[in-house]
Amino acid sequence: MSVSHHLTDETLHDYATGGLNAAMETLVACHLTVCSHCRARAGMADDVGGGLFDRLEPVTPRVSALDLIARAAHSTDSPEADTVRSNGKSDHGNVVEGVPRPLGRLLPAPLEQLRWRRVAPGIKQYKLDDKHRRDGAFQLLHLAPGAVLSEHSHNDRELTYLVQGSYRDSIGRFQVGDIADLDGSIEHQPVVDSDMPCIALIATQSPVNYSGMIGKIMQPFVGI
Amino acid sequence: MALRKRMGDNLLAIGRDRDEAAFADFYNYYAGRVKSFLMGKGMSDEISDELMQEIMLIVWRRAESYDPAKAAASTWLFTIARNRRIDYLRGNSRIEVELEDEMLDVDSDESETQAGFVDAEQAAERLHRALEKLPQEQRQVMHLSYFRGQSHGDIAQWLDLPIGTVKSRIRLAMQAVRSSLKDENNAAPVKESGSPIND
Repeated sequence: MSVSHHLTDETLHDYATGGLNAAMETLVACHLTVCSHCRARAGMADDVGGGLFDRLEPVTPRVSALDLIARAAHSTDSPEADTVRSNGKSDHGNVVEGVPRPLGRLLPAPLEQLRWRRVAPGIKQYKLDDKHRRDGAFQLLHLAPGAVLSEHSHNDRELTYLVQGSYRDSIGRFQVGDIADLDGSIEHQPVVDSDMPCIALIATQSPVNYSGMIGKIMQPFVGI
Repeated sequence: MALRKRMGDNLLAIGRDRDEAAFADFYNYYAGRVKSFLMGKGMSDEISDELMQEIMLIVWRRAESYDPAKAAASTWLFTIARNRRIDYLRGNSRIEVELEDEMLDVDSDESETQAGFVDAEQAAERLHRALEKLPQEQRQVMHLSYFRGQSHGDIAQWLDLPIGTVKSRIRLAMQAVRSSLKDENNAAPVKESGSPIND
């Protein structure tokens, strides 16, 4: 996949330190799936964590190594619990065509068969969590060709992963696999420029600030 | 990097033979560091010790999944500890790339991931030196973000610095590590034609 918009160092760093919430992690993992370049950068951030790990000041453990494994040998813990892969996922998650698995696992149906909620002309929404929007949003937006979102900025970080179609804004053109990794300073107004509907996965850490009146009216409905 | 080699060999011996002496050597070096990491992130001594034991048992039981060509033993352990802590706190797993995903971009994976390194040993040596060379103020912020605070805001508060300064130190440190890896390697720069990397 030819991807032209990538994750920032800051977001990759936060992913490596475990500082992102599950919604943000999902966006990062989707992009890392389709972008080997960012995957290499994420690996480097893990390597930095490993390198610094050796420099930590140790705190004395309460048990010895041999006591621990002796106890484990006699414990009733089912060995199956340890065969789960490190990310705890089974191999039987949802596989939705054209969707990276970190997102596919959250979808009960293929994209067009989701229960989209119409929020404005040409704009439909599918929420991926039920948190109040003041805590940030995690959702898919389904935008008709030619749809224009209100110009807005953000209080904090906004990640957008392009699942289908394309859009254009002041930053550039975003196509499938691209990620828009924006901080609070950027104001943008995405316009869908693909023939097919544009589907974007979006996570924010705090609600966006719409600058126009229509945006202010729309905000409670779109919830980004 | 005698330590890296020794700890990597320990993991291989555990994976191959369930070698108790190798585990003891690995544990004696790292158990206290894993516990230190968990306590630094805000867990009590007791919970940290319990979780550390779980993490070290994962090492004992799953060492065969360690691949010395991919990462240092310390990196492998760090990611296990980080992920186990997230699982514990959140009740759901950390979200990661799934290597069997049919959408996985593998075309340029080798060239870009390895960036031309002869071997992982050489890459680790360069990373080690790059970390050594970081200015103290950058290393401090990196240490705090990996092993102490929950957010850049926490770190800014502790150091009594503007949050923008914390973020720029993190960014500078990551750039320094990356560019020193590239420079020393004399590798051709990763292709970024028409690809704005949002550094």
